[in-house]
Amino acid sequence: MGARLDRLLAGLGRVVDATRPGTLAPFRGQVAQAGKAEPTTQELTDEELTSAALALRDRAADESFTEQERVRWCALGREAAHRALGERPFDVQLQSVLAMLSGHVVQMATGEGKTLVGALAAAGYATQGRQVHLISVNDYLAGRDAEWMGPVYRLLGVSVGWIGQHSTPEQRREAYAADVTYVSANEVGFDVLRDRLHTRVADLIVPAPDVAIVDEVDSVLVDEAKVPLVLAGSVAEDDTDQVITAVVGSLVAGEHYETDDEGRNVYLTDAGADAVELALGGIDLYAAESGGVLAQVNISLHAHTLLHRDVDYIVRDGKVQLINASRGRIATLQRWPDGLQAAVELKEALAVSTRGEVLDSMTVQALIGRYTTVSGMSGTVAAVAELLQEFYGLTVKAAEPNIPCVRVDEPDRVYTTVEQKDAAIVEYIAETHAAGRPILIGTLDLAESERLAARLAEAELPCVVLNARHDAREAAIVAEAGAYGAITVSTQMAGRGTDIRLGGTEGAQDRDRVAETGGLCVIGTGRHTTSRLDDQLRGRAGRQGDPGSSVFFTSLEDDLVLRYAPELVAVVDRDPDEDGRVRSRKPASALGHAQRVAEGVNLDIHRNTWRYNQLVEQQRTILLRHRDEVLRTDLAVTGLRDRCPERYEALLADVEPEVLVEAARLIVLHHLDRRWTDHLAYLADLRESIHLHALAREHPLTEFHRAAIAEFKDLLPETMDASVETFETARITEDGIDLAGSGLRRPTATWTYLVNDNPFGSEADRTLKRIVSAFRGKRA
Amino acid sequence: MLGAFRSALATPDLRRKILFTLGIVVVYRLGATLPAPGVSFANVKKCAAAVDQQGIYQLINLFSGGALLQLSIFALGIMPYITASIIIQLLTVVIPRFEQLKKEGQGGQNKLTQYTRYLTIALAILQSTGVVALATRGQLFPNCQDPVIPEQGTFNLIVLVVTMTAGTGVIMWLGEIITEKGIGNGMSILIFTGIAARIPAEGSNIWTKGPLTFTAICLVGLAIIASVVFVEQGQRRIPVQYAKRMIGRRMYGGTSTYLPLKVNQAGVIPVIFASSLLYLPDLVSRLAGSSTTPSGWQRFVQTYLSQQSSWVHILAYFALIIFFTYFYVGITFNPDERADEMKKFGGFIPGIRPGRPTSEYLKFVLGRITLPGSIYLGIIAILPNMFLDITGQGQNQNFPFGGTAVLIMVGVGLDTVKQIESQLMQRNYEGFLR
Repeated sequence: MGARLDRLLAGLGRVVDATRPGTLAPFRGQVAQAGKAEPTTQELTDEELTSAALALRDRAADESFTEQERVRWCALGREAAHRALGERPFDVQLQSVLAMLSGHVVQMATGEGKTLVGALAAAGYATQGRQVHLISVNDYLAGRDAEWMGPVYRLLGVSVGWIGQHSTPEQRREAYAADVTYVSANEVGFDVLRDRLHTRVADLIVPAPDVAIVDEVDSVLVDEAKVPLVLAGSVAEDDTDQVITAVVGSLVAGEHYETDDEGRNVYLTDAGADAVELALGGIDLYAAESGGVLAQVNISLHAHTLLHRDVDYIVRDGKVQLINASRGRIATLQRWPDGLQAAVELKEALAVSTRGEVLDSMTVQALIGRYTTVSGMSGTVAAVAELLQEFYGLTVKAAEPNIPCVRVDEPDRVYTTVEQKDAAIVEYIAETHAAGRPILIGTLDLAESERLAARLAEAELPCVVLNARHDAREAAIVAEAGAYGAITVSTQMAGRGTDIRLGGTEGAQDRDRVAETGGLCVIGTGRHTTSRLDDQLRGRAGRQGDPGSSVFFTSLEDDLVLRYAPELVAVVDRDPDEDGRVRSRKPASALGHAQRVAEGVNLDIHRNTWRYNQLVEQQRTILLRHRDEVLRTDLAVTGLRDRCPERYEALLADVEPEVLVEAARLIVLHHLDRRWTDHLAYLADLRESIHLHALAREHPLTEFHRAAIAEFKDLLPETMDASVETFETARITEDGIDLAGSGLRRPTATWTYLVNDNPFGSEADRTLKRIVSAFRGKRA
Repeated sequence: MLGAFRSALATPDLRRKILFTLGIVVVYRLGATLPAPGVSFANVKKCAAAVDQQGIYQLINLFSGGALLQLSIFALGIMPYITASIIIQLLTVVIPRFEQLKKEGQGGQNKLTQYTRYLTIALAILQSTGVVALATRGQLFPNCQDPVIPEQGTFNLIVLVVTMTAGTGVIMWLGEIITEKGIGNGMSILIFTGIAARIPAEGSNIWTKGPLTFTAICLVGLAIIASVVFVEQGQRRIPVQYAKRMIGRRMYGGTSTYLPLKVNQAGVIPVIFASSLLYLPDLVSRLAGSSTTPSGWQRFVQTYLSQQSSWVHILAYFALIIFFTYFYVGITFNPDERADEMKKFGGFIPGIRPGRPTSEYLKFVLGRITLPGSIYLGIIAILPNMFLDITGQGQNQNFPFGGTAVLIMVGVGLDTVKQIESQLMQRNYEGFLR
């Protein structure tokens, strides 16, 4: 009865607020039934348990669990987890498993055992005969979770594998062949991209996508979904680069070039243009045909003036390595796009490593879109429920915590300046530390974490720092973060996915001592760009009903405010106390506003990326389908034979038919890949200027589609024409075709990377700026 | 284009959208003809036939598809919603809270939409009260003696106000679900419907002048519409290159990356401005003195400015439109800003230096292209005045083959077709994929 009332109330809540996630109520009944079956499953031996699970596999290919089978599955899963890990899954965990087996995304608070839920859901899909990819946040977690959950999978008769950055193609193929594969989104994306360059079926690695279970689903599907994964190939060096780098290096700021207020754009002045034109031998930079030179000059200028060594990147082992501003880690996989990386390397007089062109690229969003079934879990997914529905058609269900959370979330403490804020933080830490409470301080970047650590050292408060420089000790630091009297200063590394147990490694008796002091105290040194990251940080405290508290210290000089709500800082009436703390409510609401603007901007960028990418993805799919057909069938040779029968007959006189089939395939694949690369470049160029169409009251997206579709229509016919030409002229012998001899060179090396944030400023930036400037103009 | 429609109807998803939109349009028209409770349908019909439409109601009546003068349940039409959206838009500049909301992306936008809805209802209450008050005093149809609302008890009048306000709420909802689930922009589609709904009535009006005139007018009308479609799509495409990326070996440019300048960059706004301004002297002269002994300037205003067939009126109208076209283009398109933005983001017009030279070039092209654009607008706007003998005095806004009506109709029509086309292109891909 009570459950029914709950359900009714939840339903009513959803009528009022459609974005509120649903509950797990529909799954309670089945889990309760599974509870009744527990005594009988407990009597099974390990072998009997495994064979009972295997018995469920006996089904038609695409038939899902019946109601009874789901109940049975819950009972078996619980028993397997209990035996293998010594952890008996709670009812809410099993309810979450069932929700995920129904294709929902589940919100689970920190410490509720997400990893186990993910594993049981994955095993459940595998038992239904599906192939599951468990998409994890990074390689470390992929490996850890696969090893950790291995015994559970074994008991349930499900094979499991995992893939990391350094896995060989054979290891990858083996891991993908398992029922469940743990892999990070980047790795599976790169594998998919690399697969599309192979010219032999045997080289392919990734099987057809089926089920994806995404860990930290909001991070993968929302925060990082717009970051393109890129496959690049090398092209020949161009020696004008050195000249241009030298010329740009000699320009003078203010006279030859100017930067805009936010330091995001740099451009030549008239004098600068004159100087460059003179230095390059009196060319006209702005003539239609010298766009390439101008682009190089612009990029080089960007590298020289807007990117700073040891701030944006470091030089290590003769390589330029990016610093990821938002995570504070060295981003080994990231590169700047569009020649900027090469320009920076030239500026630092290093060997150019990545002079290349984009052969293909896809977003994480498109990658996930390939799977027929998508599910996932996260601690902070409810906030993006609407978005997941809009972009991925996913519904979110919220699991109640097993034990209600008693963490105290204090309101923000707002200070006028950063200096006052820092002083207050140190003071607060000293106070809290005196009682022996463990403290976790979440800072926004690497520099801040070290600054704060230095201040704490001055105040004689011993602390441990967890940031990119200490990432090897990550696990050890996290394990001790909940110990009595521990002070841990961290970047965002400790924000997501880390499980901080009270008492640290000391275990149970120390846990009670720490709990008595008030549990873990989480301190944020500033709001993040989205409230979800704030919540993730808060979520480190108060796991499984533990006591704990969280508080954010913010200031009106924080980056967030300066970037997204600069106009508010001026109008807010500051009425600070002596210690600089502002107690009126206005500044706090200004911070909330800045955060919402940041979220809005990010969402707009995301939506825009999504809209513009949708069509490109469709074209990709069409192209790849065609490519696959060429790869697996005789399409190439029959096509070429029909187009030039004489040449075909002549060749057949010299070489074996098999060799000819292979040669024809290579020719067509080469031209297909070449055209697609050109097409992508064309679209990137088109995208850059398409916003101008709004001036004629046209819809930029519609115009983009119009142009993109017209261009793509000719792609396949042109491929065939070019292939015919090569077929007519290339030298084909018993040894196969000599592609290089015909001037067709496949890239000698390929590499994959993630594109760093678009450094050139996105369209959304422009729009925002336009609104802001319009507003300021009216005020002035 | 007909082919596009045929294939649009052959795509199930798109067909559903189009039929849905048509269904909503039918509902809207039904409501526009359904008399509100307490209104004497017979008397309204008699009065409407006798009325000599002038002035302020003309535009409102146009936007409500004639529903206003029928005192139907949708009498207020889409006007309150349009007004409310404009007011909220303007308020985002004035009220900091609104400005904040606007910047907060989707969430803030949703709140603003909610405010727009509240304001629409408030405006609807005001307007419906006004209309009912006018109707009870017999001022809605000044030349008509029959009472349009026979029972004038307080309760009856309240019911009438509530009905019309609720009607506006329904229209607002209809517009929103068209945008959401149908095709095109709901508000525009409803305005389009209102205007198009008058064509049969105007047609029968013209039919009374004889079949020959009717045929001739129809041909002229078609020619006008065709030429409006032609000019509306006219663009000057200024090639633009963005030199910020190193792209493949092939250099693009020319065809697809350009800055489009429309021949009619200003749209329909100058016409609305001009006709409102031209109406002012008339209003002033009416308010200023008794109509029995008009002073010299009042007589001038009445014979030359108010009289839509007078050459003074036509010339003034034409001149005002040309002026407002330049004025409006000057406000909305700022060449300096455009050139500056292009410079910052690495764009340039081939052969022209960024910055000042670019801005001057844009100014030059814009000035050149606005001239034919403004003359075109002027001609289309004064065309109905040439046909007053046939359509009757005061009908220039309603004449479906010229003026504001045709500009709006063609504009909305083109937009909607483009949208269908764009969706069609995507659907076809999906069909290809299946």
